[in-house]
Amino acid sequence: MTAEIDIYGVYVPTLLALMVLALPLSVVVRRLLAWCGVYSFVWHRGLFDVALYVILLGVLSSTSHWWLP
Amino acid sequence: MTVSFRSFVRVLVTLIVVAGAVVAGVELWRHYMDDPWTRDAKVRADVVGVAPDVSGFVSEVLVKDNQTVKAGDILFRIDNARYKIALEQAEATVDQKLATHEQAVRDRDRYDKLTNVVSQQQAEQARATEATAAAAYREAVASRDLAKLNLERTEIKAPVNGVVTNLNLQPGDYIAQGSAKVALVDTDSLRIEGYFEETKLSRINVGDPVRIRLMGQSHDLKGRVVSIAAGIVDRERSDEAGLLANVTPTFSWVRLAQRVPVRIVLDEVPADVKLVAGLTATVQVMNSDGSDKGVRSFLSWR
Repeated sequence: MTAEIDIYGVYVPTLLALMVLALPLSVVVRRLLAWCGVYSFVWHRGLFDVALYVILLGVLSSTSHWWLP
Repeated sequence: MTVSFRSFVRVLVTLIVVAGAVVAGVELWRHYMDDPWTRDAKVRADVVGVAPDVSGFVSEVLVKDNQTVKAGDILFRIDNARYKIALEQAEATVDQKLATHEQAVRDRDRYDKLTNVVSQQQAEQARATEATAAAAYREAVASRDLAKLNLERTEIKAPVNGVVTNLNLQPGDYIAQGSAKVALVDTDSLRIEGYFEETKLSRINVGDPVRIRLMGQSHDLKGRVVSIAAGIVDRERSDEAGLLANVTPTFSWVRLAQRVPVRIVLDEVPADVKLVAGLTATVQVMNSDGSDKGVRSFLSWR
């Protein structure tokens, strides 16, 4: 259920927490892709990174009901 | 050739990822903006302000703070000495009026028998006296009943099932007739009110199942939409200036969706859940078959 996340009595919307969570995740994924050499197949790196972040956020949000209480 | 093929692949890969991001972004937008859920919901209950029907000193308080009471339980008593005396007085008046009436009946009987001796005027007078005495007797009986009612009303009873809360009443307090002194939270009226944005109202129907999550609780409660408010205040307008409409001449560029209360009744409340009027809840309205309302036009992740 789309609820809130309790951070020591401060209830923040799940989306905010997911946005923060998606940031380090996207860094990790970017490093991984760079290591694999995927970026040589990328035309516009900045655009690609932004798109990657949005996709990660979407995946986190749509699966949140499985791993969030 | 290889260079142009390579750049074609590069553009293609990037565009595919961007297209994926657009899809994910649209889904996120739909979920957070269009789905009928809100974090702005409250547990609510009717609060009865219990007031005495008669004035007087409080002689006895029979409930404790936060005590559960049933409809009809006595909450507190008002000193009834004055009302007992009033009843005694009223009963004496009844006896007096009864005696007067009986005497009037006997007099009238007597005058009726002496038809040839007394004048017609005197006979009529006797009948009128009897009728007046009968009326006075009825009036006295009514006064006595009123005194009895006042005496009964010195015991203040709970009008509904509920919980006495914020009790601040001591024996010896003087309370005036009609002043509310005990707040009784009607536990039969506990419900959830979800304040939904007006933009989401079209997707909420009466009877839809609702998932409710109280703040800080780890499991969901189930409920149903029972009704949607029929009106909220128009904030742009006040009608006080000489009976004419007074519409605010400014109109903000950035507007916020107004909130409309939607009344939700709880289907089942687990025993370990303590419902307190005023608690915050998150509610999500579902389809009547229990599935999410979200628009999943081209993706169906859930």
